Amino acid sequence: MRGNSRRELRVLSIDPASRGFGFCVLEVAGRLVDWGTRSARSRHNRNERCVAIVKKLIEEYQPDVLVTEKCDGHGWRRHIRVRELIDALVNLAHEQKIKARQFTQKEVRAAFGVDEATTKHDIARAIANRFPELEPALPDRRKAGDNEAHHERTFSAIGLAVTFWHERK
Amino acid sequence: MSHGNLPNYLRTYRKRVGFDQGEVAFLLGAMSGSKTCRYERRFRLPPLRSCLGLEVIFQTPVRQLFAGVYREVEKEVASRAETLIRFLAKKPQTGVTARKIEALRVIVLVAKNHEGK
Repeated sequence: MRGNSRRELRVLSIDPASRGFGFCVLEVAGRLVDWGTRSARSRHNRNERCVAIVKKLIEEYQPDVLVTEKCDGHGWRRHIRVRELIDALVNLAHEQKIKARQFTQKEVRAAFGVDEATTKHDIARAIANRFPELEPALPDRRKAGDNEAHHERTFSAIGLAVTFWHERK
Repeated sequence: MSHGNLPNYLRTYRKRVGFDQGEVAFLLGAMSGSKTCRYERRFRLPPLRSCLGLEVIFQTPVRQLFAGVYREVEKEVASRAETLIRFLAKKPQTGVTARKIEALRVIVLVAKNHEGK
């Protein structure tokens, strides 16, 4: 019952978070196939668990491209574990014979430039405008000192996938 | 990797509407959400009544909900249609045969158009 031979580019985008990752599957037709977050709570081998979950997503959705954040972008300040996870995901993509693409936050912001989206919240708002099904999940604008909601990573993942399409155009 | 349409887009349409698996199962008259899960994860193909139920729930034609399965079936039918055209072409040509061949050609043409897209 799995996919057929007709080519239709499908992108799996992953954005790691402290307790798992946000993901989205986007098709060339602009169809948002699946989205959400996955938790991988484990003290010692969180990255291994994340990779195992991503492997299952790859099996399920058979993407052509895996999109992640670029670790060496200017001002990249995330935890070393996240860097290791992204490297592991790129290796997984090579293993599974799918392309891996990475984008910096600057490139993501540039992709949304036409919508004048510069902050994460603006980008999330632009994404919700483009995909109305995400409107109920749109997080409130964060105040100083607020932690980032786990499900905000879904919007970051969609931002990366949209950047990929923007670049292809 | 093989690409094309996914066999089904049930989860996509369910999430768009905002239902959970249990709610879809209830609407289909099933006992629990695990049945919806099995359909979504392609462990099972739903029976015709459930397919029609899904069309009603998501207000989307079955062939869009099961786009990958539809393409697969379309391809198989088109291939058989080509065989039948060849078979009918050898028979004495009457008005009925010509109509049949015309209908079969439409099937093949439409399938090829979909494949080319």
